[in-house]
Amino acid sequence: MNDAPLPPSSPVPDLPQGLADDLELIAEMTADFALSRDIEESLRVGLKLIAERMEAEAASLFLMDGDSGELVCRACCGPADVTGLRLPKGDGIVWRAVLRNRPQLVRDTALDPDFTQKVDDATGFTTRTVLCAPMSVRDECLGAIELFNKRGNLAFDDDDRRILQALAASAALALINARQAAAMAEREAFRRELALAFDIQRAMLPPSRPADFPIHGINRPARGVSGDFFDVVELPDGRIAFTIADVSGKGMNAALLMAKTASLFRCLSKRLDGPGALLTAIDSELAETGSAGMFVTMVAGILEPATGRVVLANAGHETPLLLCGDTVRRIEGGMPPLGIDPALFADGCPESEIELGGQTLVLFTDGLTEARGEDGEMLGGEGVEELLLRHRALPPPARMAAVVDAIAPKGAALRDDMTMVLVEERKAALDRQFPARPESLCDIRRAVSAAVSALGCGQDMAGDVVLAVDEACQNIIRHAYGGGDGDIRVRVERACGDLVVRLNDSAPPVDCARLLPRPLDEVRPGGLGLHFIRSVMDRVEFLTSPDGVGNLLQMSRRIDPR
Amino acid sequence: MKMETQERGTTVVVTLAGEIDLQHSPTVRRQLMDLMFEQRDVLVDLSRVAYIDSSGIASLVEAYQAARKNATRFVLVAVSAPAMRVLQLARLDKVFALADTVDAALAG
Repeated sequence: MNDAPLPPSSPVPDLPQGLADDLELIAEMTADFALSRDIEESLRVGLKLIAERMEAEAASLFLMDGDSGELVCRACCGPADVTGLRLPKGDGIVWRAVLRNRPQLVRDTALDPDFTQKVDDATGFTTRTVLCAPMSVRDECLGAIELFNKRGNLAFDDDDRRILQALAASAALALINARQAAAMAEREAFRRELALAFDIQRAMLPPSRPADFPIHGINRPARGVSGDFFDVVELPDGRIAFTIADVSGKGMNAALLMAKTASLFRCLSKRLDGPGALLTAIDSELAETGSAGMFVTMVAGILEPATGRVVLANAGHETPLLLCGDTVRRIEGGMPPLGIDPALFADGCPESEIELGGQTLVLFTDGLTEARGEDGEMLGGEGVEELLLRHRALPPPARMAAVVDAIAPKGAALRDDMTMVLVEERKAALDRQFPARPESLCDIRRAVSAAVSALGCGQDMAGDVVLAVDEACQNIIRHAYGGGDGDIRVRVERACGDLVVRLNDSAPPVDCARLLPRPLDEVRPGGLGLHFIRSVMDRVEFLTSPDGVGNLLQMSRRIDPR
Repeated sequence: MKMETQERGTTVVVTLAGEIDLQHSPTVRRQLMDLMFEQRDVLVDLSRVAYIDSSGIASLVEAYQAARKNATRFVLVAVSAPAMRVLQLARLDKVFALADTVDAALAG
């Protein structure tokens, strides 16, 4: 029984020849649309295939024009070319097919009241019979395919109607796919252009300078391209020109205006004397060729590093701040933004003069002040000051990065561009590393004594500061490093009338709470060091170490004017 | 730092000079504590001390405490201005016995 041979498997039944051809036609059309870079061309090819299959003498393909609401002929084959013909809503058989979303078969045009003679009159073609099917996918109708006159003087019939309905639906699907692919390619191209613009803009920002350079800036764009910028230009006479600016609006227009303003600054800062003249000149250039309704807020300044003197001019920008410890001075005054009306700058632009003297000049854009904290409140100038104060132990680039990170953690989408510039003298009377050993203490005392004297402190104060530094270094050697190897970096500088000493080690973190000076009532050896430090210095604080390693002790004392 | 000792009868005069910091204070401490162990009367001449830190002061405090226990004399003599500043900071200027000169201390 099992030996009986299996009957041969039945072959796949052949499709009726007509249907197989139609499937092939649909496949060909879909593939052509999918591969096409030119949708118009694919429409023409598709229509020609359909017209041949349906044995039509002529065919037209109409697509809905979203703007006008009209049907527009986008492809055509046959003796007359009506490509570009526009059919206002409700006109003729094509619109009937579209509005009813059903194929329309007109065996004899003479009997159809919707048939209009207009086209025939214009082209000289004689339309006897019409078959029209909507190009629709589900409820979305993209247009219609209309066939005229079946060859051999025949009329279209119901079979033709069903076939054209299927072909038109396939054409619609292929068109939708092709349109989506084109939109995607366009988005991709736009994204690439944006990335390119971003790179160009990055390249316009000044290079980062060494840590002891007096001016540093940061720019974090909100989306791809930014309307903010800053620049720092070293002038041939040793002075340094700097600027921060915010272009109204966002996106590509703002980026282009920013690029123009940045170029003007770079070019004019070397030729014009003073920020007031600079802003006036930039204003007149922008107003002459500017785009309507766009403007630029800008602060320009020039620092004379030898004296610490800064000249500033402000055109409608956020008020610059001058920070001195925890006190703040606002540098008020200025002009309206640039690029609005050159008449506003007819009398030039006023300037302010500042003596830095160890203070920090802070410029920023409203992306910082208008950023919202966790409580949803705008940060404001006070918030920016508070963040700068909190991170004051950091060198300027890291300090600005810490402020921006605090407002928007790295990678978070920003609501607005954030840009900041810090101007401060980075001149330390002493900045040296010593081995953390008792034998170094003598060298440290000599170096500190010389530095303190050089900063204009009297002999008594010098003696006191030397004692405080020595005691603090002893603590680092004995307690922080516990007698092990290590270094102490000693930095002495003058900041806002204070003598500031910073001792930085790379020892494991010291629990500051345990470092209490002992009561002096009990007479016993030990524990006096911290008491000495606190006695002779006005302020003693443990700060976060810039590189996150070790301990940073900052001690400061007012320098008495002599 | 320099340290010299000199016998004046039953009293030992220890003269310190230069800078007494963490590097040198262990030497000072050992010398003073040896003398305390021997129950000697000690005068410490600080006239030529240019600098003294808390570790130097701690050595003096330790000797002072031992002398009190022994009921021996322990006097700081001719304290230099920098040393006095540090004693005052530690509020020890009223704790130690002080004398202007070695002779005055010996007579006292």
